Amino acid sequence: MKRHSFLQLTAAMLTGFMVWGCGDRLNVDPVQSVDEDKALQTSSDVLGAVVGCYDGYGSTEFGSGAVQYIADLLADDGDVRFAGTFATHQQFWRKTMIATNSQISLTWRNGYSTINRTNNVLENLGKLDTDAQRAAAEGEVLFIRGLSYFNLVRLFAKAWGDGDNTVNPGVPLVLTATKAPITEANSVPRNSVSAVYTQIIADLTKAEADLKNGPVTANGANAAAAAAILSRVYLMQGNYAAARDAANRVIASGLYSLEADYSKVFNDYKNRRGVPSSESIFSTLITIQDGTNSLLTYYGSSANGGRNDVRIQAKLLNEYAAYGDKVRGNFFIQDGIGRIFTAKYQDQYANVTQVRLAEMYLTRAEANFMLNTQVGATPLEDINRIRSRAGLAALTSITRSDILKERKLELIFEGEYLHDLRRTRRNISSSILYNDARLVLPIPQREIDTNTSLVQNPGY
Amino acid sequence: MRKLLLLCAFLGILLSGYSTIAQDHVVTGKVTSSEDGTALVGVSVQVKGSSQGVNSNADGEYRISVSPNATLVFSFVGMSRKEVVVGNQTVINVELGTDNQQLSEVVVTGFGSQIKREVTGNIAKIKGSDITNIPAVSIESALQGRAAGVVINQGSGKLGQGIQVRVRGASSLSASSQPLYVIDGIPVTSTDQSSFGGATNPLADINFNDVESVEVLKDASAAAIYGSRAANGVVLITTKRGNVGKTNISFNYQFGVSNPTRKVPFLSPKQYVDFYRMAAGNADRLDDIDPSDPGSSTAYMESFFESYSLGRYNNGVNEALNSGADYTRFVQSSDLATGTNWQDEAFRKNAGSQQADLTFSGGNEKTSFYISGQYLNQTGIIIGNNFERITGRINLDHKVSNILSIGMNMSLAHTLNKRLSGDRQFNNPIQAAALTPLSPAYDPTTGLPTGTPPGNTDVPNYYNPLINLGNIIQNQEVIRNLSNVYGQINILPSLKFRSELGIDVLSQQEERYFNSKTIRLTGQQNGTGDNLYTGVINYNTNNYFNFDKSFDLHTLSATVGMSYQNSATKANSVSAINFPSDAYRSIENAGTISGGSSSTTNFRFLSYFLRANYKFNDRYLLSASGRIDGSSRFGKNSKYGFFPAVSAGWVISEESFLKSNTNTAISFLKLRGSYGLTGNAEIGNFPSLGLYSSANYAGTGGQAPIQLANPNLKWETTTQADFGLDFGFLNNRINGEFDYYVKKTSDLLLNVNVPGTTGFYTQTRNVGSLENKGFELVINSQNFVGAFQWSTSLNLATNRNKITNIQKQIVEAGISSMSRAVEGQPIGTFFTVEYAGVDPTNGDALYYKNAANADGTIDRSTTNVYSQAQRVVVGNAIPKLTGGLNNTFSYKGIDLSVFLNGVAGNKINFYGVGQYSSANGIYEDNQTADQMNAWTSTNTNTKVPEARLFYSNGNNPSSRYIQDGSYLRLRTVTLGYNLPQTVVNRLKLKGIRVYLTGQNLLTWTKYTGWDPEVNADDIVSSVAQGYDFYTPPQAKTFLGGINIKF
Repeated sequence: MKRHSFLQLTAAMLTGFMVWGCGDRLNVDPVQSVDEDKALQTSSDVLGAVVGCYDGYGSTEFGSGAVQYIADLLADDGDVRFAGTFATHQQFWRKTMIATNSQISLTWRNGYSTINRTNNVLENLGKLDTDAQRAAAEGEVLFIRGLSYFNLVRLFAKAWGDGDNTVNPGVPLVLTATKAPITEANSVPRNSVSAVYTQIIADLTKAEADLKNGPVTANGANAAAAAAILSRVYLMQGNYAAARDAANRVIASGLYSLEADYSKVFNDYKNRRGVPSSESIFSTLITIQDGTNSLLTYYGSSANGGRNDVRIQAKLLNEYAAYGDKVRGNFFIQDGIGRIFTAKYQDQYANVTQVRLAEMYLTRAEANFMLNTQVGATPLEDINRIRSRAGLAALTSITRSDILKERKLELIFEGEYLHDLRRTRRNISSSILYNDARLVLPIPQREIDTNTSLVQNPGY
Repeated sequence: MRKLLLLCAFLGILLSGYSTIAQDHVVTGKVTSSEDGTALVGVSVQVKGSSQGVNSNADGEYRISVSPNATLVFSFVGMSRKEVVVGNQTVINVELGTDNQQLSEVVVTGFGSQIKREVTGNIAKIKGSDITNIPAVSIESALQGRAAGVVINQGSGKLGQGIQVRVRGASSLSASSQPLYVIDGIPVTSTDQSSFGGATNPLADINFNDVESVEVLKDASAAAIYGSRAANGVVLITTKRGNVGKTNISFNYQFGVSNPTRKVPFLSPKQYVDFYRMAAGNADRLDDIDPSDPGSSTAYMESFFESYSLGRYNNGVNEALNSGADYTRFVQSSDLATGTNWQDEAFRKNAGSQQADLTFSGGNEKTSFYISGQYLNQTGIIIGNNFERITGRINLDHKVSNILSIGMNMSLAHTLNKRLSGDRQFNNPIQAAALTPLSPAYDPTTGLPTGTPPGNTDVPNYYNPLINLGNIIQNQEVIRNLSNVYGQINILPSLKFRSELGIDVLSQQEERYFNSKTIRLTGQQNGTGDNLYTGVINYNTNNYFNFDKSFDLHTLSATVGMSYQNSATKANSVSAINFPSDAYRSIENAGTISGGSSSTTNFRFLSYFLRANYKFNDRYLLSASGRIDGSSRFGKNSKYGFFPAVSAGWVISEESFLKSNTNTAISFLKLRGSYGLTGNAEIGNFPSLGLYSSANYAGTGGQAPIQLANPNLKWETTTQADFGLDFGFLNNRINGEFDYYVKKTSDLLLNVNVPGTTGFYTQTRNVGSLENKGFELVINSQNFVGAFQWSTSLNLATNRNKITNIQKQIVEAGISSMSRAVEGQPIGTFFTVEYAGVDPTNGDALYYKNAANADGTIDRSTTNVYSQAQRVVVGNAIPKLTGGLNNTFSYKGIDLSVFLNGVAGNKINFYGVGQYSSANGIYEDNQTADQMNAWTSTNTNTKVPEARLFYSNGNNPSSRYIQDGSYLRLRTVTLGYNLPQTVVNRLKLKGIRVYLTGQNLLTWTKYTGWDPEVNADDIVSSVAQGYDFYTPPQAKTFLGGINIKF
């Protein structure tokens, strides 16, 4: 019997061993991510979140080229041929988009992900150490939010003035940070085009004021960047005076100068080890370690890391030739079997320019021309400045169509041509008019399915 | 805490419930084989209803002290079991016959084992001997088709690649549907750890020749003991152990050659030129442009032929093509002067493989051992693919005393997998099929593969995968240590305590390097490389009591215990560009470090489990089990889950009305049923938390929200009911089982779409439900016994999967989102536009509109405007019927086994290939041969639309590319010959066997792609099933081997 008591004791001890509390061990914290309750506690946490907004804006599917190439492929009428195998991108070029196009869905998502990041910062500005930091951080994220909404409303809604701006649906305005749980309140409808523009102008105007002493983050946007985007917004609205003044503020800041050599405006890594050109006002920065230049992906030749997708056609080359434009007209490369690509995007690590000084001269010229004013310079002086860099003789008189032609040949493949055509009511082709429904992206089907209060665009 | 108290109370009852047993009677005897009278070594001689027992020694003799009223149970693997009442006998000699019933087999059940005839759950057992030496690198490939309801899809012919296993259907949309793998009691790391080229398979580190048996726990009763991880079934792998007796030494060597099961016919150079001239001409007609215009498609295509043939088109080739000369030479592989059959270039001819095994096993009454080593080297059928593995294993058992026994299992493996890129990558060699056949495979000016610098890198039309050879390294090297130790205390004759501590260490190094020759692929002038390390350290301990006791007609056995698992993964990587020259490939040598990272993640499970089996009068069986599982993965509001199951069985054949001497037809009949709950916790490690993570920009650290919180998140719950009948006829020469199951999964772990305007994409929630229902039938039959033996085993299973509720969530996946989770339809449903063939008047592709009319009917009119057609359900990728059929024959020393398996009722999506290569010449890709049947004004009765260069005419996603995926495959044929004993004895050996094996020799299918067993590796997901994307086919292998026993 003694043996049995010993064994009973053993069994009891083993039982105790088994039930030895391991319960606490089930609380495992993640290592390379941080619980949301602990993420935004200090001033430096919030500054980190500001940097995160640039990262969001620069995502591959948004501000690293997608916003630009989608518009340019839509605007094309035979200047290029999109010969790539991605059906999503073929749809842009052929103007045959469908609501399930996954690229469109990604662009929408990345835009709003960026906006949510900015809203998180705005709600935590109080945690920053100084008022100066607070102002600059607010200015930076409002700049990103305003620019993001501007990109979205230009792609997903009818152009300003194409019908009634107060009735035309724009994009949903979300101005608070999202927290779980997700409820019906998160199914927000589209605000009108005019409401979205009002918000964009408010964000950018506040940003320009907040940033008068510069940004708080390294490589952050400054007041001139906010003014540059503002000039674009006003130009889109046909508010030439405000567009002219905003462009003039950028030029007058003296922070930027035209590159003497047109080819040096692009391919930042190959030209300057990644430093943006002297005329870059705001660029999405790409490094070897971080970011993808998606303009390179589609416009670049495979020898430079691209997909050989956008092939330049004779029509565009002839347009440059007829213009006598030897600098910009020769800014193309040809591969081993004769395919021609733009030379603007031949560098995997080049930054993606969002706005540059040449556009400010062109905008100021156009606005001055429309208003018959000479704020900063005469239209002729501004245009000839651009022409002279391109090796073209100075004009002695100009028309609006000269200005618009110059704008196309200078800024082609930089994401503005579609919007220029739509705001100036010039048709893409005889069959695709400036206000064709096919030029407006569909609201992604996934969003319509998830949020029933969204209204689809006509034609989808 | 209440649960713990309950557990203690239960143990208390167990401990107080025994009584002392007088052991004053010694019985001795000898166990022999009834067939030839030879002594049987290592037979288990057990006192019925207790753990007391001995093994017969090298002479087949045993000695045991028992009480006179005891019953001795003699059992031995492969032999029928015998029970003898001791009474006043002191010598009991026993003869055991070969078991042809499979009913006395011991089945591993998880924390214990059970006799097959007493099992009330559904457990499929595959013997290790059935899968020995099958030419495959991982055990799941070898199991394919061998167990009813266990559906295995190898996905591709790449070696060591991830393999999909579904036990009774898929039970999740967002979480994994792969079963839990447990090797010798330890849940092992079985999820993909690779960082490129699709999933790899950590089970490929296991030498399956070491496996004694594989048990698949299919129903709730069998699996609930694994609780929150058992909903997808549990695969228990038990390795071999030594037996008492002389040491057995066995050496095995085999050598084989492999080729693809099938190639897909593509256009020859002549056909390519004809086809694209036609396509360009049609495009010119639509564009209203004169073909002689330099801007015409025709002019473009003619210059394309010239450029991509490296100038040979107008200088020789063209004349040959136009003159109608002998074209056969164009389809000859790598003919420098003419064309190329690119597909042939992608495959190796007669890829060799070899495998050598050496095993030692044996032992005495105190200690037994099993020691093995294996070297395996398989060359893939695709250029660049190779798998090499060296493994060793030591399994030891030692009896310290009658009370304490200890043991260990240790296996060590080193694998080196020379991998291929993902199916969707341009350097997937099979994608070479899409290259224009006019381009030479090798550039005559350099002698290097065409497209290699300094030659023209823009030819052929895409990257030439032949450049991979010698210029790319994609190695995955794994060192795997799977070890566990155990101690077992026999506290009482009826009560044992066992403690197991296991560790599974997976140490993986991945090395990737692309030198400057691959610039077209990488865009890097001076090469690019990555080096990635992943370490998974997985500890597990099981501590449990086993209680086993008989009282008169009652037998009670019980298991109660706990387990704890901690798995931690650490990974780091570094990548670089700008190598000084192609002579360098180490990151150390690179000019620019382009990236680096490190990461850590882990999960833990703490579990308590209990199982009780009760048997009355050998005919009434009852079983109950349950597990409490806590996991770090679950939300803070649901940390613990409880998973109970019950089952019952009735051995009808024991009843007097069947158990009469006159009844020889029915020898065994058992009715059984089970019901219970299991869970699925494969949801990632931190899905319940609201998270921020790094969002760096231009070298500055930043952060951003990445995940929405859901503190209520928990496991998926599956309730399963199973009704089964086990039967044996004609003295069990025909036996089998029949099952019907209903498996309902609720609280699906779903990545629920949230509006993109929130800044998030999805949130993981418990939403929705689905079900799996099916029948399973297993029949084993001994058709001939005696000198000529023929036996057949057949398994068949149906499965009907249905998503019953997803609360209007739209879950899409696959190429162009062609797969969708649709309520009322199975997982893996293809949801796309329905193709309506070709308009005979103009060659336009037509689609059914399928829009709902106002009156609720469906508009079946057709349209040539793709966007006017609605998407509909057009089939699904899940087989409705699966099965396997094995026939074995033996006569004297010769044996033959013929194994077939098949699936039926599933669809395969060829769009990954078809959108480029069966696409009416929209791009310049080479086309599948069937495109020659394109519509023309004289060929109007066709399903292939008119060819139009750069125009989409039917290449949008549609049912056009969805094909029947049913197949029947002659999976394995083995012919063996055992040399006569007289010859063997003369050589002083124990046995010599030579054999020939064929794998995948024949396949019957209507599928027109490479292989119907397909799941493109970088597309496959729970929802996206059955895609082909130039996916490498399975290998057809012939091998020969020799086995020598010393």
